[in-house]
Amino acid sequence: MFTLNFLIRRLAQGVVIIFLVSFLIFTLLRVVPGDPVRLMAGGMAPEALIEKIAKDMGLRDPIIVQFGRYMGSVVRGDLGQSFVRPANGASTGGSSFNDSTRGERAEVLTLILEALPMTLQLAAMTLAISLVFSAIIGIAGGLYPGRWPDKVAFYISSIFISLPNFWLGIVLALLFSVKLGWLPAIGYNGFAYTILPAIVLAVEMSPVLIRTLVGSVSSQMTEAYVSVGRVRGLGRTRIIANHVLRNASVPLFNLLGIQFSSLLGGVIIVEYIFDYPGLGLLTINAVLQRDFPLIQGIAIVTSAIFVLINIVVDLVATSIDPRLEY
Amino acid sequence: MSIISIASPDSSTMLASRSLARRVFDKAVASPGFRAGAAIFIVLALATALYPELSGIDPVKMDIKARLLPPLFEGAKWSWAHPLGTDQLGRDMLVRSLVGLRYSFLIGVASVIVMLFVGCTLGTIAGYFGGRIDAVIMRLTDAQLSIPMIILAIAVLGVSRPTIPAIVLVLGMSNWPVYARMMRSVVMTERQREFVRAAQIGGSTDLRIIVTLLLPLLLPSVLFTSVLDVARMMIFESTLGFLGLGVQPPTPTFGNIIADGRKYLLNAWWIATMPGLFLGLTLTSINLMGAALERARDTVHAGGE
Amino acid sequence: MALLELRNVTVALGRSDTAKVILEDVSLSLAPKEIVGVVGASASGKTVLSRTAVNWLDPPLVRRSGSVLFEGRDIYGMKETEMRGLRQRISYVGANPMGAMDPTLPVGAQIVEKMRAVMPDVSRRQAQERVIELLAAVRIPSASSRFHDYPSQFSGGMMQRALIVDALVTNPAVLVADNVTQPLDVTVAAQVIRLIKELTDQFNTAVLFISSSLPMVREASTRTLVIDRGRIVEEQATEALVARPSHPYTRELVSQTPKIWRGTETLPALPEDREVVLSLRDASQTYRVKKRSGLGGVNLVRAVRNVTFDVRRGDSFAIVGESGCGKSTLMRLLSRLELPSSGQILCEGKDIATLRGRDLLDFRARLQLVLQDPFGSLPPRTSIGRMLEEPLRTHGWRDREKLRARVLKVMGEVGLAAELYNELPLGLSAGQRQRVNVARALVLEPSILIMDETLSALDQAEQFKLLDLFQKLQQEYNLTYIFISHDLAMVRKVCNRVAVMYLGEVFELAGNERLFFDPGHPYTMALLSAMPTLEDKRYKPEDCLLEGEPPSPLSIPTGCSFKSRCPRAMEVCNGVQPVLTVRHEHDFAACHLVKAEIPLIEDSVEGASA
Repeated sequence: MFTLNFLIRRLAQGVVIIFLVSFLIFTLLRVVPGDPVRLMAGGMAPEALIEKIAKDMGLRDPIIVQFGRYMGSVVRGDLGQSFVRPANGASTGGSSFNDSTRGERAEVLTLILEALPMTLQLAAMTLAISLVFSAIIGIAGGLYPGRWPDKVAFYISSIFISLPNFWLGIVLALLFSVKLGWLPAIGYNGFAYTILPAIVLAVEMSPVLIRTLVGSVSSQMTEAYVSVGRVRGLGRTRIIANHVLRNASVPLFNLLGIQFSSLLGGVIIVEYIFDYPGLGLLTINAVLQRDFPLIQGIAIVTSAIFVLINIVVDLVATSIDPRLEY
Repeated sequence: MSIISIASPDSSTMLASRSLARRVFDKAVASPGFRAGAAIFIVLALATALYPELSGIDPVKMDIKARLLPPLFEGAKWSWAHPLGTDQLGRDMLVRSLVGLRYSFLIGVASVIVMLFVGCTLGTIAGYFGGRIDAVIMRLTDAQLSIPMIILAIAVLGVSRPTIPAIVLVLGMSNWPVYARMMRSVVMTERQREFVRAAQIGGSTDLRIIVTLLLPLLLPSVLFTSVLDVARMMIFESTLGFLGLGVQPPTPTFGNIIADGRKYLLNAWWIATMPGLFLGLTLTSINLMGAALERARDTVHAGGE
Repeated sequence: MALLELRNVTVALGRSDTAKVILEDVSLSLAPKEIVGVVGASASGKTVLSRTAVNWLDPPLVRRSGSVLFEGRDIYGMKETEMRGLRQRISYVGANPMGAMDPTLPVGAQIVEKMRAVMPDVSRRQAQERVIELLAAVRIPSASSRFHDYPSQFSGGMMQRALIVDALVTNPAVLVADNVTQPLDVTVAAQVIRLIKELTDQFNTAVLFISSSLPMVREASTRTLVIDRGRIVEEQATEALVARPSHPYTRELVSQTPKIWRGTETLPALPEDREVVLSLRDASQTYRVKKRSGLGGVNLVRAVRNVTFDVRRGDSFAIVGESGCGKSTLMRLLSRLELPSSGQILCEGKDIATLRGRDLLDFRARLQLVLQDPFGSLPPRTSIGRMLEEPLRTHGWRDREKLRARVLKVMGEVGLAAELYNELPLGLSAGQRQRVNVARALVLEPSILIMDETLSALDQAEQFKLLDLFQKLQQEYNLTYIFISHDLAMVRKVCNRVAVMYLGEVFELAGNERLFFDPGHPYTMALLSAMPTLEDKRYKPEDCLLEGEPPSPLSIPTGCSFKSRCPRAMEVCNGVQPVLTVRHEHDFAACHLVKAEIPLIEDSVEGASA
């Protein structure tokens, strides 16, 4: 019963968040200078034609009207059509703009749904690598504060967090793909293509996880129930395994919820470098081509995923620690 | 409370009358991590400040004869004149990296200032007054946290022209929610403290309490965190540059150098990798200091010293 | 043979020769089924003593010399695993019940885990049955469902009981109880002590009962040791120790234990027709708390309910009650940190809720508050002079010379040296800090001072000094005091009028003598009977000690809110909520017994004149 109420409330909040995100992105794209029609029609197109196209597409109406129209179709499940991409896949160049049949343009939703599974696969791989790695380093560091495992955790996280992901991607690709030939790097042609990008992302993610784990494990170790537990007759291993790690995992789960968007930020860059056909590559191309409907669609979908992930995280966290209110 | 309790020399009365911030700083400085970071940082800072002018090399001057020279001890053509080699247009990599570092650092610091200002203001308001204002501000931060800041940044910079103020503004504005949340939670707990109550009883206004009592107490610990964010912002700045959305060429920045160098990766690997090493070193130094400060803050605030 | 024996134990804070010695040459022994008390002030080494007895010395604490024998075997000479096995026979309960268990697992499961860790051949089922049986034995209501509750769902008193179960579940030979009653309210503390005594009888467990309160130790133990600065200074049978203390420190301890019924001077009587300075008219405060379930539903917490009383000029008015009775909320209402949700609070005839601007500042100057926590109430980064000037500045003072002069004058009055003017509060003792608090309230020359548990963080000697100061200031400036306190002994000494609160209501409102010698409410009597004093109890705990704990303010029972715990509950209490009813002209009690003119105790009339 609690859970159901919680779900309803959080979903309602989520809708508000998604609405705010759409509004934010929508206005931002329209108030900053830069006319998408100019880009679509090509530099050579006469001003009158551009005005006409823009009017036909409703781009000269007040922003609030445009937004209303847009949200109207979004709630019906229609994220609109790409400005630039034809339905057959390849992006149309700016110069070959042709307004006759808008039906040829790709549906934003289809584009996103094609790219999403690829990115999810990458994200899952990243999570697996970074969680295992961070758990080993972080828990060891938290159990021995001030001693060498703690220092290792400190230096590893300080160095890892200082490596720009695009640079690391290039270096790793150069090393493992070009020089050593162990792993494929560019494009996607099978599962092996996920490994290098996932490693780069895991390096980016693990410092925060390690620091959180070191902090939460070491602070749990100073809790009264740990020292009292020994007097009550519980062994150290049992206290750590059954109680300390259980308590220390709560902040970690919360962090995963918050880290989602920075993971996605990393995904964009990494996919761009490795030419990995996921949501990130789609995003960056959409931005570079000023493909407003696609950018908006991606923003809505990602914030929806963010909302869902955070609901799951909170459910897990409350099931571990009943003191957390739904 | 027990009936018979003889005053104990409570540990908190024994504290030397140094401020918390001071103690955090001293403790951090004593740690090897901070010292290593500071040493690297000072060397880099001096080099950045002095070397481009002292060496007299123009970072944008092309020299076709000296193009694609390798760094020291690499291959046959290396020279002391260009310790990190040259790029495809014969420009000196060391000077370009150092000039890039200047831009990167200044943009990083400036954008952290922007985000501190916006985040702390909104967070303080939300935490102090609570209620509706709090709900509105928190939903706003939720919304912003739910879209990757990089999407926001490239969406804005990709559509408009990336000038330095625009970059600073975009980086700052896309990251304030973290500070808003942090500030909100500490202000919320601090405002329950008895000395705040005492000030209210004395007739102080809310603004006066915030400005004279709460901010001086809370800002230092937030500032310690912001050191780490300077490094984070520098990474974002270089990422933007890499995507072509940062400071525009010919001005060298880490991002655009690496993006350029990527094209010559197979025959001149140093163009893309050397500046990154440089950036990584700088960031490591900042992160070491920042992390040491944050740790010192956490132990001092937890009462252990 | 002694069951547990400490032989010449010395414990220090670190290994070096200069390290501070916490316990010095301590010896004690505990026979089977015996309850031995150890009493000492805070920082006298009590806690370290209790930890030494159960082999729980964490660095930097180091045992320098001596041995601890359990049934003749040195527990410090054992291997880790052997010691863990021995935890079945030696158990421990500490002063902090709330932190002692993992907050994320049900209490029952954790007790079962402990039982099976030290007694591996017990099956999970057996363990569970035994735990539920014991939870019922310590009078935790509906034990089999409480078994599945989490630590956060237990109150402090309940949790302390659960930990006693945890300690006794393995049928130990020795229980070390370290200050177990310290965090509890007096009525609950009295219950816990009674419980420990019963259980040791039932399970043949010997108890080392360590406490900072001599009356508590006397209640529990047959033989008592006194510890002062790490040394055992006296050991006697408990009654003899109280009657004939031989060591000077013990004598001090006995003489400092407050007295309520005997040996206190009567306060000078004040005329009844003084001007009313503060007046509550049906003041209530209701908080809206978000419901855990439901969509945006709220629970109403009625923290203060229809409180009506007058405070007259020159009064020392006490508001007493246990935790959760609403006295802190009432303090916030009186000091206008919050406005009441209904009813009025009048200060010199004006409703304080309607005050604005200049009038509000005037009210602030007239009524000041002295806070409870000597550490939290002073901003750490502000110098004392600056801190004391602050209220004056907000009231429009600008002239630096005048500000300084005024602040220095007040500092002199409360006994703070003028040199402290430029100091930060960091180095000050708790007593000095409370003086700064008093000074901060006094700079505005108020006529009413609210003392919110002002003395509770101070030791006895310091309390006496501050009380003297308060008396002096009261005479000098014709001040009116409102003491908010849980300490009845202090109230007995200084307050001429007392309001007793329970679940947000005033249960009794009476003059000092009347309240202590002829209480009109069963709750007042229960409070008095649970008071830790060394005197012969005027009210027998057997007659009036309460069961259980106050109901949640979320669901206040209909009728009399005290009926669920009241030993004198009647039919009428179920349906009708009693209101404050006059007895003896100026005194009131909210109990149906008053209306029915049934005396609470037989000798009440005689007692009042005693």
